Amino acid sequence: MKKQVTITAEPINEPALLAQRAMSQGMGAAVCFLGVVRGTEGNANISALEYEVFQRMAEHQINLLLDEMAKRWPIESVRLVHRVGLVKVNEPSLWVEVVAPHRGEAFAACQCLIDELKRAVPIWKKPVKGDP
Amino acid sequence: MRVTVCFYSYFKDLTGCARTTEELTGGSTLDDLFRALVVRFPRLGTMRKATLMAVGVDYQSRTYVLREGDEVSLFPPVQGG
Repeated sequence: MKKQVTITAEPINEPALLAQRAMSQGMGAAVCFLGVVRGTEGNANISALEYEVFQRMAEHQINLLLDEMAKRWPIESVRLVHRVGLVKVNEPSLWVEVVAPHRGEAFAACQCLIDELKRAVPIWKKPVKGDP
Repeated sequence: MRVTVCFYSYFKDLTGCARTTEELTGGSTLDDLFRALVVRFPRLGTMRKATLMAVGVDYQSRTYVLREGDEVSLFPPVQGG
């Protein structure tokens, strides 16, 4: 399984990521997920989220998750981009793409990866109120 | 033996630092380290059950036996995505 993991303070360039998609002829599904910063956190309005990461461990833990995914599903590739630092409301903080032969395994693997990321990858977010 | 300890997220606010070192006796576990840190940083004590601990880049249980030079990280539940 090909994997590409990027943790960056730069904005997520979705068009560029989509343009770089590569799928072999046996693949029939590409599932993409875009996580976007909401304007509310609990009951409070916010203007941004400030993401903090333990980078070395985050990259290691994501790679462990991807290795587990490769054992469960016949996935050809996973690309994951997580933004850190200040991310304003309506801007994406997470982009995930899973390429697999069929939609069932692509959806399942993508859902699993995001659930596990929220459980195990050392990234934290702090709401920012007022002008970011 | 001496280990390095790194704090992340609001644990930095609870301790007032991002990094420190701790002297422990040989055979000490992560739980021993946590108890020693609570003596120095009492506000950490309220987070005992919610604290995640890693050595290097891997999660470890409280029974993990530390070694000289280990880099330990303490942080609250993660919130990525």
